[in-house]
Amino acid sequence: MRRPYLLPAGLVGAVAVIGMLLFVPARQPAHAQGIGSTGSTVLPTQPTAPSTSGAFTQPGPGAVVPGTAPTTTAPVNPTIAEGRRLFVAACSSCHGERADGTSQAPNLVGVGPATVDFWVSTGRMPLAYPTAQAVIKPPAFDRRQTLAIVSYVTSLGPGGPGIPSVGTSHASVSDGLDLFALNCAPCHTITGVGDALSSGLFAPTLLKATPLQVAEAIRTGPGNMPRFGPGQLSSQQVNDLVAYVGSGIQHPVNRGGAGLGHVGPVTEGFVAILIGLGGLALVCYWIGDRA
Amino acid sequence: MGPQTGSVPPGEGGELAAATDPHFALITRHERRMEIMVALSFWLSIAAMVTLAVVYSLGGQPQLEGAMLGVGLGALGVGVTAWGKYLVPQGPFKQERDHLPSAPEVRQAFAESFKRADTVVGRRTVLVKLLGAAMTVFGAFLIFPLRSLGPQPKKSLDGTDWRPGARLVRADGRVVNTADLEVGGLLIVFPEGFAGSAVSQTDLIHVATDDITTQPGRQTWGPQGFLAFSRVCTHAGCPVSLYEEETQLLLCPCHQSLFNILDGAKPIFGPAPRPLPQLPLRIDDNGVIRAQAGYDEPIGPGFWERGNGPA
Amino acid sequence: MIPQVATRSSEWVDNRLGLGKWVRKALDKIFPDHWSFMFGEIALYSFIVVVATGVYLTLFFVPSLKHMIYHGSYVPLQGQRVSEAYDSTINISFDVRFGMVMRQMHHWSADVFIAAIVLHMCRIFFTGAFRRPRELNWLVGVTLLALSIVNGYIGYSLPDDLISGTGVRIAFSIIESIPVVGSYFAFFFFGGNFPGDAYDFRFFIVHVLIVPGIIIGLLVAHLAILWHQKHTQFKGHGATEDNVVGSPVWPAYALKSTGFFFMTCGVLAALSGLAQINPIWLYGPYDPYKVTYAVQPDWYMGWLDGAMRIFPSWEPVFFNHMIPSVFFPTILLPGLTFGLFWAWPFVENHFTKEASRDHNLLDRPRDRPVRTTIGAGVLAFYVMLFTASATDVLANFFGVSLNLVLWAMRIMTVVVPLVVAGATYIICYETNSLPNVGKRKRASVIVRSADGGYESLETRYRPGDEPRELEPEELPGVYVHSKDELVGSVQRAAGDGGGSAGGGSAGGGDGSDSRPTGALSTEGTSVEGLGHEGPRPEGGASI
Repeated sequence: MRRPYLLPAGLVGAVAVIGMLLFVPARQPAHAQGIGSTGSTVLPTQPTAPSTSGAFTQPGPGAVVPGTAPTTTAPVNPTIAEGRRLFVAACSSCHGERADGTSQAPNLVGVGPATVDFWVSTGRMPLAYPTAQAVIKPPAFDRRQTLAIVSYVTSLGPGGPGIPSVGTSHASVSDGLDLFALNCAPCHTITGVGDALSSGLFAPTLLKATPLQVAEAIRTGPGNMPRFGPGQLSSQQVNDLVAYVGSGIQHPVNRGGAGLGHVGPVTEGFVAILIGLGGLALVCYWIGDRA
Repeated sequence: MGPQTGSVPPGEGGELAAATDPHFALITRHERRMEIMVALSFWLSIAAMVTLAVVYSLGGQPQLEGAMLGVGLGALGVGVTAWGKYLVPQGPFKQERDHLPSAPEVRQAFAESFKRADTVVGRRTVLVKLLGAAMTVFGAFLIFPLRSLGPQPKKSLDGTDWRPGARLVRADGRVVNTADLEVGGLLIVFPEGFAGSAVSQTDLIHVATDDITTQPGRQTWGPQGFLAFSRVCTHAGCPVSLYEEETQLLLCPCHQSLFNILDGAKPIFGPAPRPLPQLPLRIDDNGVIRAQAGYDEPIGPGFWERGNGPA
Repeated sequence: MIPQVATRSSEWVDNRLGLGKWVRKALDKIFPDHWSFMFGEIALYSFIVVVATGVYLTLFFVPSLKHMIYHGSYVPLQGQRVSEAYDSTINISFDVRFGMVMRQMHHWSADVFIAAIVLHMCRIFFTGAFRRPRELNWLVGVTLLALSIVNGYIGYSLPDDLISGTGVRIAFSIIESIPVVGSYFAFFFFGGNFPGDAYDFRFFIVHVLIVPGIIIGLLVAHLAILWHQKHTQFKGHGATEDNVVGSPVWPAYALKSTGFFFMTCGVLAALSGLAQINPIWLYGPYDPYKVTYAVQPDWYMGWLDGAMRIFPSWEPVFFNHMIPSVFFPTILLPGLTFGLFWAWPFVENHFTKEASRDHNLLDRPRDRPVRTTIGAGVLAFYVMLFTASATDVLANFFGVSLNLVLWAMRIMTVVVPLVVAGATYIICYETNSLPNVGKRKRASVIVRSADGGYESLETRYRPGDEPRELEPEELPGVYVHSKDELVGSVQRAAGDGGGSAGGGSAGGGDGSDSRPTGALSTEGTSVEGLGHEGPRPEGGASI
C-alpha cells in the first residue's frame, strides 16, 4: 500500500457524496410514464404548497391548509364550433365524428364534461399509440381548446358529472389523509406513487395531478378506477382529498432525509444492503488482509 | 520496509530487542504522513461532534444531526483504524492452538467426581423417580398460565357480526342507501352497530345488473346490481380493496390475488385459495340496503378447524 | 509510561479478582487477519447500535393500542384518532429532539444487522468454518439469525401504522394456519380474534426484553466459543492446522476493531440522517379496514412474503380439517429452512466424514465444488423468493404486467437456482484446474536470447505490491511464556479461577488443558479454564 491515507480519505469523501446524492429529494416516481407537466400552467391557481419542512411541522390551531381560491375555471369563450373542429381533427378517427364510438373507442355521448376534461387535460387523450392503459403526457391542447372540446362533446348529449368546483380554502388535510387511506391508498399507495394492477394495468402516480384532475378522477372514475359519486363522497370530502393530494402527497414531509421513492421497505432494503452493508464490507476490505 | 523509529509497540515492547525484527516494521513507508492523517481524522471528528452539539442546542435538524454524527463517528473510526493498521506492527505473529479435548486423565477424574452421586444419590431409586415425576408435573403446569393470555377461539372464527336484516353502514356509521353508490363504485360497509369491525368489513360494489353471472342459489343476493363480498382476503386476511372497475376484478394488495366480482368473487390469479364469501343483500322499502343473512361460511384465511363446508 | 493511577487501580482489581493472568493472555491473543473475517463484526457492532438506540426509544415509546386524538406538530394528522403507540412514534419523529435520528438509526441498524449476519453466515458456509470443532457455534449463529428476524419483524410491527398493521394482520393469519393448535395460539397471543387490544404491549415486551435477552445470551456464548476455540484461518503465511497466524489483540487488532466499530456507527448514523426509513407519518394510522398498496415487510422477511406470493392457490382439506394455504410458505418453509441450516454441519459430515479431526484451516470455496454449488443454489433460491416479494413494485417500475412478473418469479424460483448451481460447479471445476488462479498477478516478459530461443521472465512486483512473505514468529520478548511455569500457575490460580476464567471458557466443560499434569486432580474443573490457553505470562506481570 503506497498511499494508505488515500483510501480512508476516499471513503470519507464517498460517504459524503452518497449522503448528498441521497439528500436530493426523489420526486420522480418510479413508473415510466410521461414526464410533462400536465396542464399545471393552465389552471389559474395551484394550492399553495407547504414547504417540505416548514409549514407542516409547525403546531397549528387546526388542520387546515392555507386557503386558495376556488379553481373552477370559467370557460374562456370556448365555442362549440371550435371544439368540433378540434374533435374532428384529433379524436374522431377513433371515437367517430359524432363521438358515438367505434370498434376502437367508446361512445362519448353523455359521459359528461368532467370525463372529457380529465382525459384531455391529463394528456391521456389523444392516444399516441394503443396501450393497455393510456398514460399521462403533456396535454395536446391548451386550456381554451380543451374546454372547447368539452363543450362540443357535451352538446351532443346531456348527462354525466360536470366539471367539479374545487376549492381548498376550507378543506382539512387531516380528513383528507383519513379519506385517502380509506378510498385511494389501496390502489395508488398511501404515498400516492401508484402501483401495478392486473395484466399490465396500473394505478398511476398522483404526484403530477392538478387539483381539478384529482376531483374529476374521483367523480368520473376514469378507466379502471371506481367512481365516487356525491352520495359516497361529498364536495367537502372531495376538497379534503384534493387538499391532501396537493400537500401531503405532492409535497411529503421528508423529515427523515431522502424519500427513497416512497415505495416503502423495498428501496429501504436495497439501501440497507447495498449502501449500508456494502459500504461496511468495503471498509472491511480496507482494514483486513486481502491475500 | 526496514526498521524505523517508532515501529515497535508502545509500552513494555519498547524495551525489547525487537527493533530490527521485520515483524515489527510498519506496513507504511510514510509514517509521518499517516500520523498527520490520523490527527486530521480526529480533528474532523471533534469538529463534527461540536457542530452536532451546536445543531442540537439550536433545536436540531435530523439531516444535519445524522450527517454530523456520521462524520464524527466515521472520522473517529477512520483515525483509530488507520492508527491500528499503519502505525502499529502487524506481524505476522503466530501462536500455538490448544488441543481442545480434555486429557484422558482429566476425563477420568471428571467421571469419578460425577460418579460420587451414584452411590449417595442414585441408590435411592424411588426418590429419584419421584423427583423426576415432580419436576415433570411442575413443567406441565407451566403451560397452564398460557391459557390466561386469551379466550379460546371456539366458534368465533366461524361467524361475523352480520345478522339477518342488519343495515349496511359506512365506517363513520352512516346508513347506506341505494342512492349513495353509483354504478362502478365501491363502498366499505359494516353491519349497523359494528362500524370498523375487523371481521365484518365488507366491500359493497354496484355493478350494472346485466353483468352478473349469478351463482346457483345466489339469485337474490345481489339486488339491483349491489354485490357485497367479505373484505378479508381468504389467503392471509388483508383487506381486499383494489377495485378494477372495467375488468370487474378485486385485487388484494398484499399478495396480489385477483377475484372475479362477476363470478362470485372466485380467485382467478395469485395465491388465494377460495372465493371471497358473499353477503346476501336485500333492499327495503326506503331504499336502505340490508343483509338478508350473515355470511354462510367462515370469512378470511383458513384455519385447522374450518373444514370445507358452511359453518 | 502507564500513569500511576492506572497501575494502582489495576493492582486493586487484580488483588480482588486475579484478572491479570487472563487479561495478559487476552492481550497477547493472536487473531488471523482477513477482510472477510470482519463481517461478523459488522453484525456485532450494528447490534450494539440497535440496543443503544432501542433503549433510548423505550424512554418515549408507549406500547398501547388505546385510542386517542393526535395533537402533535404534524399537521395532516391533527385531530385524527390514533393509537398511543402511533402517537408516541410520531412524537419521537417530530417532537423529540434527536428522536428522528435515533429512530431511523434503530431501523437502519436492524436492517444492516441482519444483512451482516447473512453475509457472515455465507462466509462461514463457503469456507467450511462450521466444521469440527465449530459445529456448536454454527448452531448458535443460525439460532441468532432466526431470533433476529423474528425480533426485527416484531419491532417493525410496534408503531401501529398502516403498513405494519397490515403486516400484523398477516402474522395473525400465519399463526392461525398452524395445524391443530393455530387458532388457539393466535387467540392466546393476541388476546382474542384480530386485532384484539393486547398485541402491541405483548409484542413490545417480547421485542425489548425476551428476544433481546436470548440474543445477548447467545451472542456472548457465540463470542466466548470463538475466543476459546480460536479463529479459523486461510492457508498460507505459515498458517497450519495447529497454529494461529495474525496480529495480537493488543494493540493492532484492538485498534482496528475499535476503529471499525466507530466506522460502523458512522455509516449507520449517516444513513439515519440522510435516508428516510419507514416514514410512518406519511402512512397514517392503522385501522383493520384500511390498507395501502405496495405493502411489504422489511427486507429480511421478504423471502417469506415472496414465498406467500408465488405459492400456488392450494389448500388441502381432509376429514373436515384444513391445512391453510399460508401454512406451507410461512411455517413449513422457514421450518425446513432453519432445520436445514441447523443440520448442515452434520449432513455434510455424514458424507465427508471430516469430523474425525479439527479443521482450523479454511477451504477456498472453489476447492469444495459440491458444497459451494449447493450453497450457491440455495442462496439463489432465497434471493429469488426475496425478489418475488416486490412483484408489484417491479411490475410498476418496469411497466410490465403484474401477472407476467408473478409467473416469471414462479418459474425463476425453480430455474435460477439450478442454473446458478450449474454455473457455480463449472466455475469451481475450471478454476480448480487452472494454475495460479487467485495468485497475485505479475506481468511476464518474453525475452529473446542471442541464439534465437525465447524465454518467459516474470517481472518484479510493482512497488508496494509485494507479497508479505515473512514467516510468522512467536511474539517476542516478554510475550514468550515459559511452559514450565504452567503447573505452578495453575496451583496458584486454583483459588480464584471462576471469575477470570469465565469469559474464556464459556464453551463448557469440554474446555480443558491439552497437557495433562499431575496437579490437575478432582478440583481441576475450576482450573481448566485457566489452563486451556497454554502459554502463560512470565513472572507475575505487573498488570
